[in-house]
Amino acid sequence: MCDWCMKHGAGGKWYMNAKNYSNELAEAMNAQEYLREQWKAFEMVYIRRIMGITSIDLGYKLQLPIIGRILRWSAERMIHSEGKHRNPVRADGHFGQVIPLEEAKVILGNLAAEPIIENYCMCRWMQRGIKEACCINFGLLSGVIEKLPRFIPKDTKYRLDRDEAIARIEEHNKKGYVATVWFQPVPYINAICSCENPECGGLRLRNDFGLHTVYKGEYVAEVDPDRCQACGTCVTKCQFGALRLVHSLKRVIVDINKCFGCGVCRHACKYDAINLVPRENYPALRGVY
Amino acid sequence: MFPKKSPKVTIDYTKCGEKGQMDPRDCAKCLRVCDPAIFILHESPNMPIDPVDPKYWRITPVWLSLCNMCMKCVKACPLGAITVSR
Repeated sequence: MCDWCMKHGAGGKWYMNAKNYSNELAEAMNAQEYLREQWKAFEMVYIRRIMGITSIDLGYKLQLPIIGRILRWSAERMIHSEGKHRNPVRADGHFGQVIPLEEAKVILGNLAAEPIIENYCMCRWMQRGIKEACCINFGLLSGVIEKLPRFIPKDTKYRLDRDEAIARIEEHNKKGYVATVWFQPVPYINAICSCENPECGGLRLRNDFGLHTVYKGEYVAEVDPDRCQACGTCVTKCQFGALRLVHSLKRVIVDINKCFGCGVCRHACKYDAINLVPRENYPALRGVY
Repeated sequence: MFPKKSPKVTIDYTKCGEKGQMDPRDCAKCLRVCDPAIFILHESPNMPIDPVDPKYWRITPVWLSLCNMCMKCVKACPLGAITVSR
């Protein structure tokens, strides 16, 4: 269990705590105002100056001696901020975690506050100029996004009921997109995304720059050596480069340090050889997210 | 002591962007041709901001340290607006 489960999980995982989805919490935090400011110019988040510094060429800036360390420390502090005066335009307190399909279904089926909408993915739009409806948002955020025409799918139904939302997340997950659940801002939860590496803004900062915008899931993949037929189909699904087909062993091996526990590889396996096991089962991974 | 300098990628905004001949939202060729996805499409900061539906857009190369200098964007740009150098 991570720090956020300790703080906001009520004894379990943070994203399984119904309180974090409630409208009462959102109102108490004044989340509406935050979300409106954050979403109306989300594309500017890497462009605008934050304390005099933009994200342009962040990779170089983070490697600078001393300055790089200060930058990394303040970026992490911003991403995980729980303070009173969080700045929406730099997305303070906005981060998420990878979850397997089963848990995404539980969230959409029971926990997510209505109304539920599916809108165009912000990250694919700003990083690729592509409009693909695959982000499922709920609670107060739905009302905020509905007022921004560039994110609302045209000619298709974007307001979903719970069963439709579950069917959509299943479709995305089988396609190979990674399900992630988001605090926006912590501890209010209002989105389940279907992310793709490297287009996802969160995964970009995590995988390329080591900032904790997305935490690894509570699970890791495990390959059953007796069942694995060494077809290698699962390897093509992994977005994190955690799976490898080893010909001499005639099976696939998992690099558990790279595995995010999204479970997307399972959809590709015809032999039912991949299972998700809790991260805690591996002593070396305990507390490593 | 100091890290390796990233490649310089520049876009000529007199050709592409809010004052150019093309709306980057309609083209977006550089965004899609780039394997590491170093470009970001965003509303123009120096134009009047429309909070609901921005009309003026431009592209900025942001993740420069990930640029491999493959020159695919230079070739893909129909306006010849992109230059890549060390």
